[in-house]
Parts: sequence; structure tokens; C-alpha cells
Amino acid sequence: MSADSIGVDVEGVSKRYAHRVKGEVYAARDVVLHVEPGEFLTLLGPSGCGKTTTLRMIAGYEMPDAGRIRFGGQDVTREPANRRNIGFVFQNYALFPHLSIFENVAYGLRVRGIDEAQIGRRVGEVLALVGLGGYEQQFSSQLSGGEQQRVALARAIVIRPQVLLFDEPLSNLDAKLRVQMRHEIRELQRTLGITTVYVTHDQEEAMAVSDRIAVMSAGSVVQEGTAEVLYHRPASQFVAQFVGRVNLVPGRIASIAGGVAKVAALGSTVDAVVVAPGLVPGAAVRLVVRPESIAIAPAASASGALTATVTSRTFLGEKIEYLLRCANETLQVVRYDAGPGDTMAEGARVAVRFAEDAATVLPETGASAKSR
Amino acid sequence: MIRASGHRDPVVAVTALALWLLLALFVVYPLGMLFARMVVDQGGFNTAAITKILTDRHQIRAFWNSLLLATLVGVLGTAVGFLFAFTAARGRLPRLLLGIVDASVLLPLVSPPFTTAIAIIFSFGPRGLITYELLGMKGVTVYGLTSTFVSEALTYFPIAYLTLRPILAAIDSNIEGMAFSLGASRWRVFRTVTLPLATPGLANAFLLLFAASLADFATPLILAGNQFPVLPTQAYLQITGLFDLRGGAVLSFVLLVPALIVFVLQRYWVSRRFYVTITGKGAGETPFNSISPATRNVLLAVCAAIALVIVYFYALLLYASLVMALGANHTFTLQHYRVIFTEGAKAIRDTLIVAAFAMPLGGLYGVLLGYLVTKKAFIGRRSMELVSMVNYALPGTIVGIAYLIAFNDPPIELTGTALIIIACYVFRYGPTGIRATVALLQQIDKSLEEASQGMGAGSATTFRRITLPLILPAFFAGLGVVFIRSMTAISATIFLVSIGWTLITVKILDNITELSLGPAAAFSVLVVVIVFVVIATIGRLLRLFRAPGNVPMTSLLGG
Repeated sequence: MSADSIGVDVEGVSKRYAHRVKGEVYAARDVVLHVEPGEFLTLLGPSGCGKTTTLRMIAGYEMPDAGRIRFGGQDVTREPANRRNIGFVFQNYALFPHLSIFENVAYGLRVRGIDEAQIGRRVGEVLALVGLGGYEQQFSSQLSGGEQQRVALARAIVIRPQVLLFDEPLSNLDAKLRVQMRHEIRELQRTLGITTVYVTHDQEEAMAVSDRIAVMSAGSVVQEGTAEVLYHRPASQFVAQFVGRVNLVPGRIASIAGGVAKVAALGSTVDAVVVAPGLVPGAAVRLVVRPESIAIAPAASASGALTATVTSRTFLGEKIEYLLRCANETLQVVRYDAGPGDTMAEGARVAVRFAEDAATVLPETGASAKSR
Repeated sequence: MIRASGHRDPVVAVTALALWLLLALFVVYPLGMLFARMVVDQGGFNTAAITKILTDRHQIRAFWNSLLLATLVGVLGTAVGFLFAFTAARGRLPRLLLGIVDASVLLPLVSPPFTTAIAIIFSFGPRGLITYELLGMKGVTVYGLTSTFVSEALTYFPIAYLTLRPILAAIDSNIEGMAFSLGASRWRVFRTVTLPLATPGLANAFLLLFAASLADFATPLILAGNQFPVLPTQAYLQITGLFDLRGGAVLSFVLLVPALIVFVLQRYWVSRRFYVTITGKGAGETPFNSISPATRNVLLAVCAAIALVIVYFYALLLYASLVMALGANHTFTLQHYRVIFTEGAKAIRDTLIVAAFAMPLGGLYGVLLGYLVTKKAFIGRRSMELVSMVNYALPGTIVGIAYLIAFNDPPIELTGTALIIIACYVFRYGPTGIRATVALLQQIDKSLEEASQGMGAGSATTFRRITLPLILPAFFAGLGVVFIRSMTAISATIFLVSIGWTLITVKILDNITELSLGPAAAFSVLVVVIVFVVIATIGRLLRLFRAPGNVPMTSLLGG
């Protein structure tokens, strides 16, 4: 039931506010985004990073101070929300409390002057699609959070929008329902093929639903890519820390060749992939290593050069988390394959080995690295 | 020491008993006497007086006139109040402008109820500033339905504003934004989403205004004239003109019927129809712009025009108090103020003394009763709350006549004392404090008191350190309302004043009937100034105690 999918382009869009204390501040600054037709793009970032402002500008709730927004190549920058043919899902669902579920979903169709018979059919179809057949005459106050979320979804898609927009839609649900709903949203979006922009501050949710993620900080997009690229090859310390858990180990570049640097760190030399430009030998850097990319073994049986002391060990069932002391640095390590015979208790000496390609190197001042 | 639950708590029992005695004496007994006076004559049951009044064509007209007036005031006042509330809630007004709107709305709230009426006579009367001076019209009659209902609408629309503004502000702007994104125009969003969501509030505002107009006594007395009799004034004239206490009682009782219907509708029907909008992340710094810039300007212009009329009325009042005779001799003079501070000094002193006693008593009564009925278990708890609201809900005319009948003769002879006026104020306006206390206590989660006890505090300490500071705003609300009403009310107390004790408001009315409008204006200005000073002081005190919550202005009005 999708309309033909269109792409969305956000071209250098900025939005300023007069802040009572800080004076003029940018909620969004020179934001550039390209969403392919049918693609699911997520804007990820901490609160106040400008992701919601950007989304609201795409929706037409706010007018940018600079830049352009195009839907399918057509400039819609000055079009208000009611002329953009979008579906919007709010965090608090924004269901009309005075209308039944049927009338909530039918609202957009009535606005479009669609005849009664067709409205009945389409509302029935879409309610069945979100698993709420038979709820037509209920009111939103009688529904659970998850059900309200589904009504909001049904109401957004029944008008066959060109673009579907979500503003932290799962934040009001409990953890279990959140996981279930994000699968449902993803499934629905795939089935309908509607170009989608989704805003969240939850990195796991972003990874679960998106084709691509744009990480935002302080009003700007700092890195864009698939979940895997963001996770394994973060372009800045901010992204590295925001997406997943990470070790940021200080070091100094010994040499660079073919996109791989030899970095002096932890009293040894580690190979690391270079993603940021402008690194020269001698530069102070940070090694980015995920906790699960570090392999440890009892010291005697290992052949690696690095050794460390276990300072803390937490058994979590499927995994064990360790904190290691290694050349005056603390390393977080996660092991998933430990059997019952694990002997690396607190105080044990262990050998440390970084998985191949696991480390990325970033300049010491991580904030300057901006992938553009 | 007060225990957390007081089934056998002697303090609770004694307090409850004392309150019941007071309620019996000052609420139940007068109304019983009023009723008795209507049906008992010469030692037997006799309904002749009732039949006589109820079949009098003139009185039947007064009844329908009252309903017509109340309906018109309800409609116009609600409309104006909604306009102001909508502009304030959705107009993205700068702080300063919002402050001006609030101030112009506050003015009618804190004035004697007939201030607008006087200003209308000054402007549109036979020698009116606009009709006579400006337009040169002669023989204009300002008296009648139109001027009465416009005057009441202007006086009472702030009730609608204060009722509707929080409701409109509470409508999640995402809901409007949602309808907009579904393709609806702004006008359609307003029609299909905003207005339906505000409907219970509109109904509520209408009923409050209807009741206020029904009970209003001063405005029709000044403006309605002979051609448009209404019930409260008829009851007054029956008593003061014809010395027919029984007839006045019957007329005021007729007023009771619509007043009671409105009260029941408002409390038990409308109040259950409010929509609960789900809380969650709001729209942030820039909510959805539900009105276009052009509409905003139109709304602002209309509000500004109305606010200007109000400001003009008050400026005129001030001017009239400072010139020899408005419309005839515009020489500057302080003579009217000299008059009110010499001849009127007794009224001023009496009013201030009455207010000074009624204020703390009313505040204490409100908090005590409110705390008792919310937090303590004792027999007759629900009925105590209900009985305590009776004098508050009834039109002042009924309460005044009931007190007059009940306390005129032994066993309890209070007529001619200050006590009767003070009692009237305490039991008529103290309930504002009760409602504020109940509302505040219901918001205070039990866990707060439990947390205090959990940290080792006894229940006395808990009450003193936790509960008391939290209900302090309700105490101040009670203080404020009782004081303001003591300064401005007239409908009940006009029956209770005497040679020994009189009130400013009654003096203003006397001045108007004697056509000495200058002193009337000076008195009005004085009242407005005093009330503003006291409100500001209470506001400061509230901030001083850093207590949350605010004085519910909705209940400041009426006569």
C-alpha cells in the first residue's frame, strides 16, 4: 500500500534559537542528510543534539533559518506540515482523546475528502495490519501503551505518506515491549517500503531498526553509516563512546603505511586502522578497541607480548566482564566463550591480545574528527 | 499530637465536633430559619406567602429575566474569556504582553463588583463622557438589559479566562501538530481537535459565569433600571422597600433552584468530562504553531481592544475621583478623597476591622476543615465537606437574608454586630481555602509523609515539617480570598450592615443612589488599591516561604 518511494534530502539546514542564558544557539547547524527512497535512516544522539529539531524541520513543523529540504527532488522547505504528505509518530503518540480509535485513524482520510466506504475499508485494513482489528470503537484511554503506539502507527501510515517520521516512538514503553515494537516497526516499514527517518537516543534501538544511522552532536551530524561501520570504525571519540562500550587507550603513532598505523601504547606496539585524516608519526592518539575485541588467556599459555592483571571479574551468565590493569591503563574486556573452568580470577596475570583489525586510531582531540 | 489515622484520636474528635457545631450554627441553622420563615406563619403551616409571590406576574418576569441575563452573560463572558485564554495559550506572546493581559484581567477580579457599572454610567449615562460630551446625544437611557449584561460580562469574563487558560495550555500541542501533519488546515485543526478538547472547559466556564450573574446583585441594582427586574434585586427591594422579610425569603429561595442545578451540573457532570491527555515528551522549545501569524495579529488586536476598554473604565474611575463632577466640572480636586476619609472614615475602618478578623479566621477554618476531611477518618466526614460548601455555592442574597432572619431575634441575636458580618465572610469564602487544601493534599503523595516517618520523625514532626509547609499555599489562598471578598462583597452583607457596623461597598452603593458619584469613584479606587497591595503582599509571603502552588483566582469574584 505504499506510494512510490521518494528520497529525502536535507541540504545544509540550520535552525537558531534565542536562548535566555546562552544567547543565540544553533539547535541544528548545517545539517546534511540524504535518505534513499525506501531507506530507513535513524538520527541518533544524546538529548539536545538537534535530532528532534532536524526531524521537525523535515516534517514541516519548523522552518529552517538556512538550507533546503527536498522530497523526491522537489523543494518543500517552505511547505507547512499539512501539505507535505508525511506520517508522523510522536513519543507520546498524540492520539486525539476525544475521538474513537476508528476516528483517530480515519482523521487524515477525512481531511483528504475520501468517501465513507473507502475510509471504512482502509481503516479496517490498517488496523488489522497493526494487529488492532476490533478496537475501532475503543478510546485511547482504554488502551495500553503498546496498543496506543500501534494506533499512532496506523494513523500515520493509513494516509499512505511519502515519508514516515518517528520521534522517539518507543521511549514510553517498557523494555520488553520496546524490543517487540521495534521489530514490528521495522517489518512494517520493509513491507510498505516507505522512506523513513527515525529519531532515538538509544543506540541499540538505532542499530536494530535502521539501514543507516546518522550520529548527531551539538546540532551537527558527526558521522553517518551503517551500524557496523559506526561501531567498528568510529570517526571520533564521541561516536566511539556513544555507540557501545569502548576502551580509549592513549598512545603515540610510530609509523603509518597503507591506512594502518603502528601505535606505541600499553608499553607495546599495536596495529590500528586509520579513519581520520591528518595523522603523522609522533602524534598523540587514542586507540579505539571494543571490549569484546580483546582476547585474554592465562599468562603462561599465551604467546602475546602484552600482559595485565585482572582487577575485577563479573560473571553475567552469557558473558564475563573483566577490568584489567595493563601498563597503568584500565581495560574493559568481555568474554562470551568462557566455560566452567575459567581460572582468570581477580589478581590473576593474563596475556592480552587484540583481534586483527579490531583497533582504530583517532587523534587525541577526538571532537575535531568530522566525517564529511 | 495528631496521629496518622485518627479513629480514636481525641484531638480529631474535638476539632470535628467544634467544626460541626459551627457549621450547624452558621450554615444549617440560618437556612433552616429561612425555610421556616417561608412556610410557617402565625404558629402554623402556611404557604400563602409563597403562592402570592410565585403567581405575581412581576416576580415571574424577574425570574425569567434573571435566567436570560445569566445566559447572555454566560455566553458573552465565556466567548471573551476563551478569546483571551486562547490568545494567551497559543499566541506565543512575549512575557511583557502576557503580563499586561493578566493585569487587565486581574483588575475586574479585585474590584467591587459594580465598578464596571459605575464606569458605564460615567461613559454612557445621560451626562456620559461618550454619549453626551463626545457624541452630543441627549436623553440617553443607559439602564436596561444591554448595559447590565455587557457590564457583567466584562466583570466576570476573567473567571472564564482563568478556567480556560490552563485547559488550553494543557492540550498537548503535539496533538494539534499531529492533526496538522495529517493534512488538516489550521482552521480544521482548531475546529476538530482544539475546540472539542476545550468543550468541557467551555461548559464549566459558562456554568461558573451563569452562577455569578445569577447571584450578582449590585450590577442590576445600578444598571438594570425599573424595566428589567431580576430576582436578587427584587428580593432586596422586597425587604428594604416593603419590609416584607417573608416575600424576600421566598424570592431568594426561587433563586436557589437554578443556582443549585448549576452547582450540581458543574461539580458532578462537567468535571468528569475532562480529557486526560497522555503525558510524555512535550513539543520542546517550539511547540506547533497552531495559529498563523495573521490570525495571531487579529486575536491580539481584539484582546487589546477589550483590555483597552477595561483600562479606560478604570482610568475613568480614577479621573472621576479626582475632578469636581465628571461631565459637568472637570476641575482637579481631592475633595472626594477628603469626603471618604472624613464622612466615610467609619466605613473604611469598619471594613478593615471586619476583614482583619475574617481573614485569619477564614484561612484557619479552610485549612483545618480541608485537612480534617482529607486526612482523618471520623463519622460524617463526607457530609461535613458538603455542608461546608453550601454557603459558598449559594447566591449571596440567600445567605444574607438567611442570616438576617436567623440572627435577628433571640436565642442568637447578632444583628448589629460585627460578628454577623465576619461569620458570613468566614463561612461563605473560607471554603475556597478548604478546596485549595483538599486539592493540595490530594496531590501530596502518601509516600512523602511515610518517607519522613521512615527517617525517624514522629507524626507531629511530620505534620509540622512536611504536611504544614505543603498546605501553606492553601492557607494563603484562603487568606487572600477572604480578604478580597471582605473588601468587595456586597450581595450578602448588605442585609447585615447596621448603624454600628457598615462597609465600604454599601457606602459606595449609597453614594450612587444619592448620585454623589465622585465619592463612589474615590471609594472604588481605594478598594482596588488596598486589594492590590494585599495581593502583592500575600504573593511575596508565598515566595518567602518558597511554597509551591498559587492562589486560585477563579473564586475571587462575585458579590
